[in-house]
Amino acid sequence: MRSPVHSRSAALGAVLAAGLLLTSCAASPDAVDSTTPVKGGTLTYASGDAEPTCLDPHVGGNYPQALISTQYLESLVSRDSNGTIIPWLAKSWTESPDGLSWEFTLKDGVTFTDGTPLNAAAVQANIAHLQDPETGSSTGYLALAKVAGTEAVSANVVRVTLSEPDSALLESLTQPWLAIESPAGLARGVEENCAAPVGTGPFMVESWVKQDSVVLVRNPDYTSPPADADHTGPAYLAKIVWRFIPDSASRFAALQAGDVDVIDNAQPDTIVQAEKGDSIRHLDAPRPGASNRIELNSSKAPFNDPLVREAFIRSANVDDAVASLFQGTATRSYSALSSVEAAGISRPDLFGYDAQAAETLLDSAGWTARDSAGYRVKDGARLTVEFPVSTNQSIPAEQSLFEQIQATAKKTGFDVVLTPMDLSSWYTALGENAYDAVSAPYTKVGPDVLRILFDSAGIVPAPSGYFANHAQVNDPKVDTLLTEATAVTDAAKRASLYSQAQNRVLEGFYILPLYDQQNHYLLRSDVTGARAMPTVSTPTFYDAWLPAE
Amino acid sequence: MTDAAAGAHRPDGARSVGPDRAVPRRALRLSVPALVAARLAGAVFVLWAVATITFFAVRLIPGDPAEAILGGPGSQTSPEALAAVRAQYGLDQPVLVQYLAQLGRLATGDFGRSYALRQDVAPLLVGQLGGTLLLATLALVVAWFFALLLATWSTRGDRLARRIGSGLEIVAAALPHFWLATALIVLFSVWLGWLPPISTSGPAGLVLPVLTLAIPLAGFLGQIMRESLLTALESPFVLSARARGEGERGVRWIHALRHASLPAISLSGWAFGSLISGAVVVETIFARPGLGRTMLNAVTVRDVPVVIGVVMIVAAGYILMTVATDLAQWIADPRLRRR
Repeated sequence: MRSPVHSRSAALGAVLAAGLLLTSCAASPDAVDSTTPVKGGTLTYASGDAEPTCLDPHVGGNYPQALISTQYLESLVSRDSNGTIIPWLAKSWTESPDGLSWEFTLKDGVTFTDGTPLNAAAVQANIAHLQDPETGSSTGYLALAKVAGTEAVSANVVRVTLSEPDSALLESLTQPWLAIESPAGLARGVEENCAAPVGTGPFMVESWVKQDSVVLVRNPDYTSPPADADHTGPAYLAKIVWRFIPDSASRFAALQAGDVDVIDNAQPDTIVQAEKGDSIRHLDAPRPGASNRIELNSSKAPFNDPLVREAFIRSANVDDAVASLFQGTATRSYSALSSVEAAGISRPDLFGYDAQAAETLLDSAGWTARDSAGYRVKDGARLTVEFPVSTNQSIPAEQSLFEQIQATAKKTGFDVVLTPMDLSSWYTALGENAYDAVSAPYTKVGPDVLRILFDSAGIVPAPSGYFANHAQVNDPKVDTLLTEATAVTDAAKRASLYSQAQNRVLEGFYILPLYDQQNHYLLRSDVTGARAMPTVSTPTFYDAWLPAE
Repeated sequence: MTDAAAGAHRPDGARSVGPDRAVPRRALRLSVPALVAARLAGAVFVLWAVATITFFAVRLIPGDPAEAILGGPGSQTSPEALAAVRAQYGLDQPVLVQYLAQLGRLATGDFGRSYALRQDVAPLLVGQLGGTLLLATLALVVAWFFALLLATWSTRGDRLARRIGSGLEIVAAALPHFWLATALIVLFSVWLGWLPPISTSGPAGLVLPVLTLAIPLAGFLGQIMRESLLTALESPFVLSARARGEGERGVRWIHALRHASLPAISLSGWAFGSLISGAVVVETIFARPGLGRTMLNAVTVRDVPVVIGVVMIVAAGYILMTVATDLAQWIADPRLRRR
């Protein structure tokens, strides 16, 4: 599927651009003079992400689920745009001095949309549900790994006890994958709950036609917005139709034609086109957690040699490729963390393009000879970099970026073998350690993502298969820093530990940072009040409204 | 329905155009029940072979369904969840055991349960079948309409018309679905704003998907039809019809076209299969629910029961179409009825 779609967007880009000019002249936006929100109306959202197989993000726990469940489920706490944890379903919380026990006081008078009251027992049921292997939770399960138990201190206060201190607990709890659902809803069993989870959110799941759409309707009794919302009481919109349109060009055409109001997964070419007119607005909401980066597998040759890793990084002309392929929609990153993470440190000094330095590094690493094709060789072996590319996770522009890196690295003598794969094959290649370089997104709130990506515990836990330390960083110093950071709650101390760990990883040339994890929404300009949650950057339409018909 | 059935799904169609052939003796010796039984056994064999090839094709390409079910963008699978999913669907069993279990279920009419969608395959596919059937049927009808129009117009004797007709058919037949779909969207949705680029509740959303499937098919059908129409127009029976005083319209529409449509009819069985494969692209681009999109999603996550289910339905549909085209040929071709 990749190359047709890819070449298609390239070939028809010009035609589409011309089309946009026409439509933007024809459909100049109706002046929205009124700033008073209008109640009612139906918003149509078109997602380019895969249709979730279960609408309950406790089950599995991936981004497509987070996108939609943000509309009907809510978490105990949230995070504001400064990175501060703010109240949501919990109005306050306290940590015990030893860091092993947390007490959350819940908002009063909140009920789930099935009438079940939100209380300490409900929170307990949710944590138990996430920790129950029968649920099949991955993301939520791992986030709660240190939770040893829960107890109801009173009807409205729940205590969470930990096996060891976890400075990331609050950040983890902001995530949609750990949202609080009605215990009565959960008790219906996985199957029924997957079809229509019951939460406290501003909307409710009304129906789901597989491979077509999910219909969400307003929760008339809504009382529990997060502390950073713009208003209180029920949402303005009466209904959201949540559609799945996998093809990027169709999705954008539907937005231009006004058949949908909001699209996600907007590609660089469509963003640039949209920004030329004024009928469509662009919302850039980078995902939290890790930056998008190429991870170099340090467990085996050739990247077990730091000199070769540095040579590869120096040989890759990333800046020029990002500028030309992303057309200004992505900013180069020099960090292991997303730019939304305050704890991230940036090291532009380490990742500049310097072909001459790369040559010298390879020479000193012993890769002195070249074969007839111009690739470096050592002891009869070619300097080959196996690079499996997940076509489900790398957008066309990113795949082209890898091709550009392949081309510039070739000049230095690297034979980069790019292999496009579907998700299943890609997981298998990783599990079999059959890669030298790989790029995998990782979304998580807070700098604790560093522990998942760089702690040696994250190296191939056979036989389960998946692991997240793809660079296979195995450095006791990094492990110690990350473990300490997990245990301290003092903000300054925590930031210092994470900064030291990042420096060590970046200076070890284990990763080549590219840009933030791209997350672009395009909205018709008559959609007012929509924003991305500062947690995992999913859109929320609680404050959104459309002009009266 | 006699020997024509056996060869009807060949897309060449040349068989019926030539002069009357002797009826094969083999066909005459078999009684009708024996013929039906042979036909049924053939159908069962095809379905078994299709299920087997599909199973191994999906399972032997790399990729663990459990990883695909639980994983995906922005998630990390926990070993516990993987183990639970593997045990739930028997993915921890040897592949041969899984194959036999799958076959056993199919033999009893049980399509099994989707790994990824958490529902039974049979009701799932029944729900998706309607959209694809509607799309394929409309595309076939529209393609026939275009092909007939082009074939009759371009064989009126005018050389230029013949060239234009032939050129149009070749271009149409060569158009890839994904390109045509985008071109139609740009033209009719973005520029003209006449039609929605995605499926809608009304019939307007069907126009572009149907055209995307119908135009290349019309090219194929038109080429075949025009050639056999030209052959037919030079045949003795046309001459004798003219000699009887039949007008030009009668000659073309009643005698020649009926003759010339035979290869196109037998090609329609094959066309149905090609429409289903085209539906994978069209349903994805136009965001229509249907078997094609279900199939694409299922292959991505190695959802074996769904893939086998879709393939079996398509194979069964193909067999039915073959029977239907035989029947249509039997009606259109008096030589077959005389036996």
